[in-house]
Amino acid sequence: MLTEGLMSFLDQAATEARTELPDRNSSLFQSGVLDSFTLVDFVTLLEAECNIKIDDADLRPENFDTIAKVEDFITRTRGAQ
Amino acid sequence: MSCFITGYGSALPERVVTNAELAPMLGVTPDWIEANSGILERRWVEAHQAASDLAVAAVRDALNDADTRAEDVDYLIACTLSPDYQVPGIAPLVQQKLEGCPGVPAIDLRVGCAAILYSLQLARGLIESRAANTVVCFGAEAQSKGLDLHSRSADLSMLFGDGAGAVVVSGESKMPDKTREYLVRVDDILIETDGNFAEDLIVRAPGTANGARWLDAEQLAAGWHHGSMQGRTVILQAVRKLSDAADHILVRNGLSPGQVDLVIPHQANANLLAALARKLCIVSDRVVMNVDRLGNTSCASAFLALSQAHKEGRISPGSRLLILAFGAGFTWGAALCRAV
Repeated sequence: MLTEGLMSFLDQAATEARTELPDRNSSLFQSGVLDSFTLVDFVTLLEAECNIKIDDADLRPENFDTIAKVEDFITRTRGAQ
Repeated sequence: MSCFITGYGSALPERVVTNAELAPMLGVTPDWIEANSGILERRWVEAHQAASDLAVAAVRDALNDADTRAEDVDYLIACTLSPDYQVPGIAPLVQQKLEGCPGVPAIDLRVGCAAILYSLQLARGLIESRAANTVVCFGAEAQSKGLDLHSRSADLSMLFGDGAGAVVVSGESKMPDKTREYLVRVDDILIETDGNFAEDLIVRAPGTANGARWLDAEQLAAGWHHGSMQGRTVILQAVRKLSDAADHILVRNGLSPGQVDLVIPHQANANLLAALARKLCIVSDRVVMNVDRLGNTSCASAFLALSQAHKEGRISPGSRLLILAFGAGFTWGAALCRAV
């Protein structure tokens, strides 16, 4: 599960994009919830909320394309750190 | 030994291309361009103009500002993504057009939009090693000639503009004239490269990695001679790498972001600069911007922004400047300067 802060961010981004938050396996990019710039703020918040430092090599948009992928990424990164 | 920026120059083509003119070519609306880039207009060269034409005008402007003759130049360092020819680079062409400095070394650096940082680093090394005393660094672009003006490339082709900027770097702390109140001392430069992302921002052709020929009909049909960009990756990496570079150079100089008077960034995209300012906790009025009027002028952009800050009187004695740039490669970094 994503933190309340991250879900709140995505809800807000969906509202601003005038769309609905997609299900956990559907693309946040294709739905319009995240664009190139909201993605930057989302990743910054993710690092702060989850207390992790994302390695530059892992800073790829495909890791943040769906809620499920974000959850998996957080689990993997925490395990590695 | 210190080195100082003693002169600033710029040159822009006269033709202004507004979003209203460009948008129909790209199958988008003017509002879409503005919303996704913050760009309102850019300059494009005419058919007869090449990157070296803009470059030599900017270099002359910088030499005039520094009250320095071409005969006193020891080195020319050029940066461009849109050279006049595949070979040679534009530096020899600029040397020839400039007149007055035949024989001085004139080199091109292929470091993408981090041009100002890499050229300043090299200039500083040349001056400190006493291989040169006066070095001219410049970036010039005529990249409108290479844009893919179709909807498939709208996100990239909306960005770019043409122009040139230049600085004169000297080992002497001599004011150019009585009206000048400061020289900008280059105190520290941090530059990095990460080739793992080389294909995320690329012009593939002509190139020897493309098979039997470095340019053929198949590559042209595939559009490999135009730029391509993984936009989300570029923006994620740019904000991360630039903010880290800023943090590192400030920390190693015992400074905080609040002590920076002026940030002079590569003008990639207004939204990217806003994201960077948020991450660095720097208020936007301390960030020099020209991307709204000039678009992304690649190698020229930070030179143009620095020249703009100088000409608009935004630099004063004591000002601390933080130059930030990021480009294809990826190449990136930061430079810390002080007006003295």
